[in-house]
This record gives sequence, structure tokens and C-alpha cells, in this order.
Amino acid sequence: MLETISDWLQSTWLSHAFISQGLWAWPMSESLHFIGLCLLVGSVGLVDLRMLGMAKGISVSALHKLIPFGVAGYLLNVITGSLFVVGDADQYIFNDAFRFKMLFMFIAGINVLFFYSTAFQQTKLLGPNDEMPLPVKIMAGVSLACWIGIICAGRLITFYRP
Amino acid sequence: MEALFIWIENSPLSLWVRGESGWHMAFPIIIVFHALGMGFLVGVALAINGRVLGLAPGVPLTRLHAFIPVAVIALIVNAISGVLLLIGYPTKALTNPVFYIKLLCIALALWNLRWFTKTVLTNTAYDSGNMPLSIKRLAVISTGLWASAIIAGRLLAYTYNHIMSI
Repeated sequence: MLETISDWLQSTWLSHAFISQGLWAWPMSESLHFIGLCLLVGSVGLVDLRMLGMAKGISVSALHKLIPFGVAGYLLNVITGSLFVVGDADQYIFNDAFRFKMLFMFIAGINVLFFYSTAFQQTKLLGPNDEMPLPVKIMAGVSLACWIGIICAGRLITFYRP
Repeated sequence: MEALFIWIENSPLSLWVRGESGWHMAFPIIIVFHALGMGFLVGVALAINGRVLGLAPGVPLTRLHAFIPVAVIALIVNAISGVLLLIGYPTKALTNPVFYIKLLCIALALWNLRWFTKTVLTNTAYDSGNMPLSIKRLAVISTGLWASAIIAGRLLAYTYNHIMSI
């Protein structure tokens, strides 16, 4: 089943186009993937740190204005990341580090949906010096831990090639 | 120069980094720390640049100073992991012009971050008001320098001329 998916991905037009770009498409996509990572840490990561109690004096609602840039980084990384998987499917689908990365992304995704559907509206109303309620701190901690896990597992992919 | 590269590459620390002294996880773990440090150092720098450029105007600029220790710890992590990687593969890095471009970009970007930290993040006049054009220009240049450093760093894996001298 996984082999069928992998073979199919590698037979697609997109896969051939990305790989046959030769020298530059892959390294430049990797560079963009790293820049997207920095945008995510610099926005989502900092909001997480604020919710955990760092940088009092900044309200979550004010810092949250940076989140669209994190979303931009996320989209950039979904696009470049998908190109890697489509371009060289075998190297990812059977790779344990990649599987851990997807697991962390899944948990981060559930966590962020849960945060925005439960606590976000009240969190936005809190002042610059307010301490966050415990559930918010827990969600921020889960988010930060997931993103750190995603970076670690992502960087390890190359060492766990099947 | 080659004699120096050979001496470094034969040293126990270099062998340990390359995983040639039995434990193969040293290199991957050092690389992981280098990526994490990059995320937090460049992340904090980009957030400051973004605020200087007028994004998130409700954030009092001087309060972003609280994130500077995060950037400093990330810088220390990356200086240590970077030096270890250099000790592992001195020939590979030091014979590649791209490596010097990366270092130059980082040096200039750090110089800018230090100046922002000392001058801009301590000036409460900037907390709510608009920033002077000269400072905004520096934020744009700094963002470009960090992006260039990342691109140059990634290209090191593709542009080297020699891997080892031994």
C-alpha cells in the first residue's frame, strides 16, 4: 500500500518536474523551508513563550499580529515540504524520522484547533501583564514542544534514509 | 593550511564529530542543535525587524527586549555547534567561498541585532510612535542578511570543493 503511494507520487508530472530542475530547485526549496521555520518560531514560538509567562508587558493580542507571518511560513513549508515528498517519496514515506515529524505536526494541529476553538477569545482580552490561565499555558507548552520536536525530527530525516 | 586541516581532521574531537570514534549520533545531534538555534535566533531577530517595520504595532518595542536572552542562548548554541561542525569538516567549510559569505552575513546581522538591542529596544520613544526611516531600512537589510545566511548555509552541502584533507 505505502509502496504503491510512493511509486505513484514519484511517477507524477510534479515529481519529474521538481527533480529534473536539477541543481537548484532542491537546495533552494530547502533554504525556503528553513526560512519558513524561522518565521514560525519567530511568531508562533514567541506567542507560546509569552503565554508561558515570558515577556510580560506585551499583550497576547498585540503579539498575535505576528501570527499571519507564521501562517505564511507554515504554507511555505507545506509547499516546499510536499515537493520533497513528491520528488523523492521513497526517502520520506519509509523514514522513521519523517513519521515522527508527521506525528508532531498532527498533535500541533489538534492543539492549535483546540486552542482557537476554546481559549483564544478570552486570552485575547487579557492585559499586557496578565498571567495566563493554566489550560492556556499547557496548550502553549504543547505547541512549543511540538514545534521543537518537528524541527528535531525534520533535521534528522536525512540520517534515517531507508 | 593543508597541514592544519590534516591535524584538525586527525584530532579525537574531529573523529568524534564525524562519528568515526564509535558513536554515530554526534553529528546528527549537533546538526539538530544548529537548526534549533537558527530557528530561535533568527525567529527573535525577524520578530524585532517585523515590529520595527510596523507589523504588530501594539507591541511596545522595548518589551521585545525580554526575548533577547532567547536569542543569546540560541547564538551560544549555534556558536558551539557551528565550531564543532567546523572541527569535524574543516577542509569542507574553509575551502568553500560560500562558507565565508555565510559568516559575513551572520556577522553583519548580529552586529545589527546588537545595535538594535542597545539603541532601539531601550528607547521608549519608539514604543508607540513610528520608526525613523533609517532604522526601518536597517530592519529590511537585517532580514535580507539572515535569509542570505540561511541560504548560504544550506548551499554548503552542495557547493563544497573538497570534503577532507586526510
